Amino acid sequence: MVSNHFKIAWRNLVRNKSFSLINIGGLSVGIAASLLLYMVVSYELSYNQFFPNKENIYQIVTKSVDEGGEDYTPGVPLPALEAFRLGVPEVKIAPLIGNGGCQISLPDENGTIHPDKKFMQDIYFTDAELFNVLQFKWLSGSPEILNEPNTIVLTKKEAEKHFSSWQNALNKTIHINNQVTANIGGVLEDIPLNSDFPLYYLISYATYKNNPKIFGYTDQWGSNSSDNHLYMSIPVGTSVADIAQKLNAVSTPRYNEIDQQEKREHLLLPLKEMHYEERYGTFGDYTISKNTLMMLSLIGVFILVMACINFINLSTAQAVNRSKEIGIRKVLGSHRFNIFWQLLSETSLIVLCSIIIALLLVKPVLPHIETLVGITEKLPLFTINNIVYLLLTGVIVSFIAGSYPAFVIAGFKPVSALKGKQKAAGKAGMRRGLVVLQFVISQVLIIGTLIAVLQMNMIKKSDLGFNKEAILVVYTKADSAVLSRQPAYKHELEKIPGVQSISFNSDVPSSQSNSSTNFAFDHKPDEKFSLYYKSADENYFSTFQIDFVAGRAYNANDSAKAVVVNETLVKMLGLNSAEEVIGKNIRMGGSRWLTITGVVKDFTTNTLKENIKPLLLGPVKRSYRNAALKISSNNLPATKNAVIAEWNKIFPEYVANDYWLDERITRFYQQEDQLTLLYKIFSGIAIFLSCLGLYGLISFTTVQKRKEVGIRKVLGASVGSILYLFSKEITLLIIVALAISIPVAWWISKEWLTIFATKITISWTIFLVAAIASIGIAWLTISIRSLKAATSNPVKSLRDE
Amino acid sequence: MIQLEKIFKWVNSGANRVFLLQDINLEIEKGEFVSIMGPSGSGKSTLLNVIGMLDGFDEGKYTFQGEPVHQLKEKQKSALYKKHIGFVFQAYHLIDELTVYENIETPLLYQDLKSSERKARVADILDRFNIVGKKDLFPAQLSGGQQQLVGIARALVAQPQLILADEPTGNLNSKQGEEIMELFKQLNKEGVTIIQVTHSEKNATYGSKVIELLDGRIVNRH
Repeated sequence: MVSNHFKIAWRNLVRNKSFSLINIGGLSVGIAASLLLYMVVSYELSYNQFFPNKENIYQIVTKSVDEGGEDYTPGVPLPALEAFRLGVPEVKIAPLIGNGGCQISLPDENGTIHPDKKFMQDIYFTDAELFNVLQFKWLSGSPEILNEPNTIVLTKKEAEKHFSSWQNALNKTIHINNQVTANIGGVLEDIPLNSDFPLYYLISYATYKNNPKIFGYTDQWGSNSSDNHLYMSIPVGTSVADIAQKLNAVSTPRYNEIDQQEKREHLLLPLKEMHYEERYGTFGDYTISKNTLMMLSLIGVFILVMACINFINLSTAQAVNRSKEIGIRKVLGSHRFNIFWQLLSETSLIVLCSIIIALLLVKPVLPHIETLVGITEKLPLFTINNIVYLLLTGVIVSFIAGSYPAFVIAGFKPVSALKGKQKAAGKAGMRRGLVVLQFVISQVLIIGTLIAVLQMNMIKKSDLGFNKEAILVVYTKADSAVLSRQPAYKHELEKIPGVQSISFNSDVPSSQSNSSTNFAFDHKPDEKFSLYYKSADENYFSTFQIDFVAGRAYNANDSAKAVVVNETLVKMLGLNSAEEVIGKNIRMGGSRWLTITGVVKDFTTNTLKENIKPLLLGPVKRSYRNAALKISSNNLPATKNAVIAEWNKIFPEYVANDYWLDERITRFYQQEDQLTLLYKIFSGIAIFLSCLGLYGLISFTTVQKRKEVGIRKVLGASVGSILYLFSKEITLLIIVALAISIPVAWWISKEWLTIFATKITISWTIFLVAAIASIGIAWLTISIRSLKAATSNPVKSLRDE
Repeated sequence: MIQLEKIFKWVNSGANRVFLLQDINLEIEKGEFVSIMGPSGSGKSTLLNVIGMLDGFDEGKYTFQGEPVHQLKEKQKSALYKKHIGFVFQAYHLIDELTVYENIETPLLYQDLKSSERKARVADILDRFNIVGKKDLFPAQLSGGQQQLVGIARALVAQPQLILADEPTGNLNSKQGEEIMELFKQLNKEGVTIIQVTHSEKNATYGSKVIELLDGRIVNRH
């Protein structure tokens, strides 16, 4: 019986080629899209899942509250490690101190460093306890090594990359920042890519503590950095809240001693939430919110639903053609039940074909999607999870898509079915509802994507308040050797014809890093908000074309006490005009009083996701790690090569790191950009599917209205009036759908836009465009099918009656 | 075998009640060959459908082999006709997507026969109707007469006691028609009860009994 069903199903597929094509095409695109999204979402959900004790791992994070509001950081002050270990001995606490962009040099046997054996690398300081918390596996060596000073541990891949085999790497020497030498004491197994721990270079914590000048160790409770992480493993059965309370009992008195304006509290972030908690950020490339994952999953489900709706509409439309067969089967003794299962097995055959085609579609597309969402790993297609997903999807889709048409068709009355009196199957209301649902989904996706695209365009084009074009930044660590040679470097750079302007500074105007401090203004007590600062020489303002609203930039003749502030600071101090601060004094932390010489027009201090910070710019030479060069735009690559060549002459032992500022700024929004592109692709798929669905519905209506169209034509109706007959209802359905989708899309977009400090206003034109697009696409689809009906010979359709 | 008592069937059209069958009283014995005749719209096909349990009726009693059909549920009726009745149609009503062999096999699938048993029965019938060579052809590849032959073979494969034929020769030319009627006659001799609806006086002569209908009433029987 079943084989018989499949046989007939197959012949039906072959016989009704266009229907089969639409059905299988729609379903396979839908299944492929949902499989891709499933793979992406489940990859993101697999982050950090490989730790055997993952349920017991927590990160100690910091919440601080002051007048300016709440602030969350993954960092914990460095002396807290020791204090917590003493005060809460029942838990294991390990430090993990990130030190972004250290220079690693690998000398050969004679101690010489070849140019390709020096590079920039993020390194991490930790001790043996780490391996009791985050249980990475060792190929050689043991955790105790990391309790010794000047030892380093690499992962297998890094060891193999630089020393032909990982065994060769053992006991070799590494220079860090040209100042510290460490011995490779062990090799770790490679850390899975789906982790937030890219710990390729682990250096002993003792090395960190012994070199405070180089790596910045401090035992001040008042100082904190988002790179100072503490991880903890809690014994099974211990209350997390209790532990948090004990930790805070240790730290709170210390914070009170400093008597800062802000209240600091330590929270425990479970490992399983780390990858999705955007307030903190990890050492990994990115975090992704559960909302985003939910959105992607929903899009996947919606696309599948749309594919199912298409199938239902097409099947019920096509059912008329099958009424004879169903009638005969019933007369021959088939029960309703038999026919239901026969039709369902036909659906499952179609779904099976679609799954196979979906796999063929996914295979070439997968690498692009991986690149798009920033997955560095090659995701395997044929995993148990994916196969189970496809099978489950297959069964569910078969049931959802197949059961309604099967139910309706199986209910045909045999006599009328045989007499050909069976008109279209199913209730029109049901079908209209499904079509409205489909339009709602596609319209929400269209509107949402439109808003995302507009927002991203605005971000890219928005005026940051400075000129980011053709600025090359060359940077390194600001150590004494580098600083002493900076004037010589500047001298050489000035000779390069393409270099228009040179500024040494600690940070470009717009960046993702922040330095802040408490401060006092005009000899008053400390203000209740923090002051952010960047160090910059006097050429900073001309190089980045930053305008002044009052006063002037400091210059070479000013003392080092001359500083510049921004408009936001003036506003936050409650002053009416920028002129008022000129000549006034300002003090950062507890240091000496400085004098304000000018106020710059506000520029974007961080990304456009954040508000502009109250900022101070001052010429603090010791933190000049960047050389920012304004290059004349006519020969950028050649000028860049010349700049790098000079670098290598003057700083031979330092890697020349460089980036173009405009490219770096674009990268701030990489994740949003990628997601926008992803939304674009999937709303394209949704539009495609809704067109298919419409085509199905119109096929259905043309069958239903065959006689009506015939009679109207005999009575002299024009082709145009018949096209109107078909599009009237659909247009109405689209309008109903718009009434639902516009508020939904508006709400979703508004939520999404909250991540940006600078955002577009959602204007009604967006909805108008979406409405016109929706109706236009629909009419186009309708006319393809209904034109055939409108131009057909009426004699033919009437003769059948 | 079949007893119809005071069968009424009607449809309501607005305030009017239009009778399709009125006061039908009919008894058909096992082994009879009955022809139902009458002009278009007289209710011949409706009566045949009622007898075949494909269509219901509004009033009256219908007993099929002692079973009170008017008291049976849809499912029981379906089981009853599946077992005892074979249908032959004017338009053959073969399933276009199935081969000759598969068309004939279909009723057996619904009777849950074993595969070997099905094969044997279909082979028998193919043999008997001399259409073994055509078993892998699709209906569209056959002439009208051949299609009707397959239709009859399909009706017979489940070994019914009753064959209901609705104008079996209506779409055939006279030679093909004669052959089909001869076949019916032969089957009747072998003990199969046959009820046919026909327009043709000539076809009616093959039968043992003629019932004439007009406006849903039996006006003559001979």
